[in-house]
Amino acid sequence: MTTSGVSVHGRGHVDQVIENEHTAYQRMVRMLRIGLWLFIISDSFMFAGLFVSRFYLLGGTRPELSQALGLIVTSVLLASSFYMNRAETLIEHGDREGFLRCTLITIGLGLGFFVGVVFLEWPLAASHIGGPAASAMSSVFFMMTGMHAFHVITGILFLLVIYFNGRNGRYTPERHWMVEACANYWHFVDVVWIFFYPALYLIGTPVALEP
Amino acid sequence: MDTISQASARKASAVRKGVVIAVVLAVLTLIEFVVGLVFPNPWILLTLALLKAVIVIQFFMHVSRVFAREGGH
Repeated sequence: MTTSGVSVHGRGHVDQVIENEHTAYQRMVRMLRIGLWLFIISDSFMFAGLFVSRFYLLGGTRPELSQALGLIVTSVLLASSFYMNRAETLIEHGDREGFLRCTLITIGLGLGFFVGVVFLEWPLAASHIGGPAASAMSSVFFMMTGMHAFHVITGILFLLVIYFNGRNGRYTPERHWMVEACANYWHFVDVVWIFFYPALYLIGTPVALEP
Repeated sequence: MDTISQASARKASAVRKGVVIAVVLAVLTLIEFVVGLVFPNPWILLTLALLKAVIVIQFFMHVSRVFAREGGH
């Protein structure tokens, strides 16, 4: 007995199951994407509050900070966003090795930014404007950079998760929602710094207070 | 059916797009830095920041995917 009819029917059934699974996954990604953006919007309200408080409390002044260091850490975060985008693009096109390499570079640059702000800028700033409790200016500066640095650290943890998942082959060009979510979170952290950088380093007259 | 060369051309194009966007962001950051040192007008600086943010949100965060009927991937 020929089985061609049966096998064709069987193949059709398997194709249908795969198609249904793919549709269900796409529907789930659509929902998760909306959820992620709602989270990003809600988190941006907190950063917007800090941004507005900087102008309300400091007006036309700003803390005396190292311009060179500010430009360097900003460039490092920008470069990390570029490599994050590259990592996402590469996994979308099935290049796992490239994805892992770019994710590692993003982690390294993120750590570089964190070290630049917390271990280099903070002590320098403290010598000019005092510690976090010294004045409204220092409170605003340490709160803005501290909250942002906290997000950088959580972003690095998220990046480590997708790196190890990627090493275990969990992502494919068709299924890599977690990489997209991590990339969006990392770019959001970059967008926040895009506003914080001019607000803290460029706008206003620099003021050094007695520590 | 995609050929391998078509797939690699698509990948190269997507990577190139990322490079172009990064260069634009780097140039805007440099302009921002120079404006901040020479002529620190808050409105110019905030406009430059807004422009950079829009570029990142549109091209790196792919905000348009939220409104797409297809799930992507």
